[in-house]
Amino acid sequence: MAPAHYHDKVVRVLVLCSVFWAIVGMAAGVYAAAELVWPGLNFDQSWLSYGRVRTVHTNVAIFGFGVSALIGTAFYSVQRTSHVPLFAPGLAWVVCWAWQLALVAAGWSLLSGHTSGKEYAELEWPFDLAIAVVWVCFAIVFFGTIARRKIKTIYVSNWFYGALIIVIAMLHIVNSLAMPATLFKSYSLFAGSQDAILQWWYGHNAVGFLLTGGFLGMMYYFLPKHAERPIWSYRLSIVAFWAFTYSYIWAGPHHLHYSAIPEWVQSLGVVMSVILLAPSWATMINGIMTVSGAWRKLRSDPALKFIVLSLAFYGLATFEGPMMAIRDVNLISHFTDWTVGHVHSGALGWNAMITFGTFYYLVPRLVGGELYSTKLANVHFWMALAGTMLYILAMWAAGVTQGLLWLSLDEYGELLYSFTDIMASMVSYYGLRLVAGVIFLAGAVLMAWNLFMTVRGRETAKVLPPEPVANPAAASEVAA
Amino acid sequence: MSGVRLHQKLENNIGLLIFGILFVASIGGAAQVVPALFQDSLQQPGVNTVPYTAAELDGRDIYMRESCGVCHTQHIRPLLAEVERYGPYSRAGEFVYDRPFLWGSKRTGPDLHRIGGKYSDEWHWIHMMDPRAVVPDSIMPAYPWLADAPANRGNDIDKRMRALQKLGHPYNDEEIADAAASLEGLTEMDVLIIYLQGMGDTVDPDAADDHGGHGG
Amino acid sequence: MARAISPLLIFRLVLKPNEVFQNLAVSRPSAGEVFFKLVVWMIALPPMFAWFGSLNFGWRLGATEPLVLSTAELAGISIGYYFTLLFGFISTALVSRWMSVTYKARESLGIHFAMIAVVGAPLAVGSVIHLYPDVFVNILVLVPTLIWSMYLLYKGLPVVLRIEPERGMLMASALIGYLLVAFVSLLGLTVMLWGFGIGPRVGI
Repeated sequence: MAPAHYHDKVVRVLVLCSVFWAIVGMAAGVYAAAELVWPGLNFDQSWLSYGRVRTVHTNVAIFGFGVSALIGTAFYSVQRTSHVPLFAPGLAWVVCWAWQLALVAAGWSLLSGHTSGKEYAELEWPFDLAIAVVWVCFAIVFFGTIARRKIKTIYVSNWFYGALIIVIAMLHIVNSLAMPATLFKSYSLFAGSQDAILQWWYGHNAVGFLLTGGFLGMMYYFLPKHAERPIWSYRLSIVAFWAFTYSYIWAGPHHLHYSAIPEWVQSLGVVMSVILLAPSWATMINGIMTVSGAWRKLRSDPALKFIVLSLAFYGLATFEGPMMAIRDVNLISHFTDWTVGHVHSGALGWNAMITFGTFYYLVPRLVGGELYSTKLANVHFWMALAGTMLYILAMWAAGVTQGLLWLSLDEYGELLYSFTDIMASMVSYYGLRLVAGVIFLAGAVLMAWNLFMTVRGRETAKVLPPEPVANPAAASEVAA
Repeated sequence: MSGVRLHQKLENNIGLLIFGILFVASIGGAAQVVPALFQDSLQQPGVNTVPYTAAELDGRDIYMRESCGVCHTQHIRPLLAEVERYGPYSRAGEFVYDRPFLWGSKRTGPDLHRIGGKYSDEWHWIHMMDPRAVVPDSIMPAYPWLADAPANRGNDIDKRMRALQKLGHPYNDEEIADAAASLEGLTEMDVLIIYLQGMGDTVDPDAADDHGGHGG
Repeated sequence: MARAISPLLIFRLVLKPNEVFQNLAVSRPSAGEVFFKLVVWMIALPPMFAWFGSLNFGWRLGATEPLVLSTAELAGISIGYYFTLLFGFISTALVSRWMSVTYKARESLGIHFAMIAVVGAPLAVGSVIHLYPDVFVNILVLVPTLIWSMYLLYKGLPVVLRIEPERGMLMASALIGYLLVAFVSLLGLTVMLWGFGIGPRVGI
């Protein structure tokens, strides 16, 4: 029987779709940012108004750019860490195209104003059902491949991708529970404070297991691959993974400080958020020490620059989060642009940068060639860094100013500033943020061009799994 | 080290690994979220808290459709300066009919929880048609299409109230049957303003402070 | 070392950064010399500019009235600013030296003092914008300056510390990670102090 190659064509499609959605999602973000400076940019059209465009931005960035990258890299890495081609490759294609189709439909739906009203879960119930079905298919392909593996031990990147699949399924199903009224309208099963607690159990852990956990899976596979060295500490990866999976779930209530939810729930949220710092940083250290020990094998290539810097921003974001979860800091930061800054230090500094680095490494390999232009990728690196720093600093300045001025009283206990004055002061920062977004988007466009030119006219490389080894490698070794 | 050996059992068995992840990830929710879902004080309406009327519900659904909650919060924190700016802080009992909750996470524009009665209907109308006509520095977009569209656009107010009734909102069948008629002649702008004007009068600031059991 | 660190440093950094770094690569500055002849003066620039600017213009936070603080308060804030920057400089150099062990870089305190001073020089000079203490204008000027400093760090670290470019990139990224965390900690600490009643009055 002819040996089966790894199924990498579906990876290629998912990666290229991810790049496409990155551009679309970031462009939507830039447009939304511009609307905060020039509100007339909705041209009196409902589908162009800020509320809808912002929702498209978040959904496309997370579920288009992010999830396509995660599914693609999960398919790529699970085969290679199991030494078998994908289980049910036909189903893998279904996952790929159904997801892309859902995204296009979602864009139309969100611009039309269909929304459940819950952040990062805006898509209405028909989408919720479709997503659940596609996600189950994703699970079947992923776990099926692992079940068929030729290597005894399941490598750590698969624990993280696995946790992504399992926990997101749990969160999505429970948080989406609703009573449909019409085809495009449903009402959440829970109301008020209870809905709030449920929503942020979902919302925070979507960040935790999708934006953090899933991308850690990416890091754990691609970083050692690139460095051609095993992960620095196997034991640390075990402890960190389980501590991470356990503690992240409790952190949701830090979105609800000083609100009408029980005090004990808020306090638990604080404590667990702070505890969460430990496994987060343990994982970061694991990554940094892995690559530090292997510096000699690295050419100064841009892919690695992106991945290494992404770990620094990961450190920032996973420190800032617990810090903002402390009530005394949250007092000032809640509802302000500081939160937006925090989101983007993670989204741009961590998620986007590690994905960029991974794609610069992966795409040339997928077609058995070289990156079209290393120079362009280096330019992209500096644009991404500049855009991210400007974004964060503009939002920190805006957020802290807002938070302080909202609460400022004079010596008689009267409010010092009107809301309108404070809001008007923010617009210049929104202008800076717009510039930051444009720079970041432009860098991503350079990447899209670079990757397109890399794959243009080339077939996906056919790679065979290696021959089975007599004595399977220890768990800390990276599989071929 | 036996810990590592135990872990190797998980690493060599996908079923165990899946179960392990599911189990560990469920603990937080079980401990933190589930009790809240059964906590009485979080589902007891305040004395003045009543389900939304047909008009208010339609307005609320428009509020969601236009994603107003992306810039406006509906939750006043128990902080001195915040209470001074917006009014009595928000209690749980006021939100028992909010499906979904609309507390918001970003305050680009002011909090709206107690906006009811603070501005006239006309003010709201002009503000929505052209925010800068009443607030020169505003960055809020205009919503002129609301003035042209009839309320209950999908002619489904009864279906929406029926769904809420199934979820426990005390609507009686008569109310639901009359709902569409009650919205006759109103525009989307009208019902949105009705919704806004009804917001936040559900607490008596002089009453004893408590979870919302009798918020007002 | 006297030639490497000179008052014309900032111009040579703009025109010939490589020369500055090459000079440092072959020099062995003493920590004391760098600190007392350069750092304590350079770090005094931002607080001094802030002092003059705040006295003359008040703090401009946007479309609100400028915040005018008393001379005594301003003195306290400027002195606090100075010591915060000093602490930041010393801790960054010490962290950099600590990282040198992992990355097999030069470990003398003097060279780390010199490197951080040179890389941070643009920010010290750019702080002239504090003469007009409008937050937005300061961000506008200081963020590009910061990015330039980050670029100098990436370019200069491997040269000054005499390690391979790849190692230098890794170490520079790690140092940037430290700086990001340190800065956000400062932010968090500051707002916490406000909540405890130290600083501007907040109604909580």
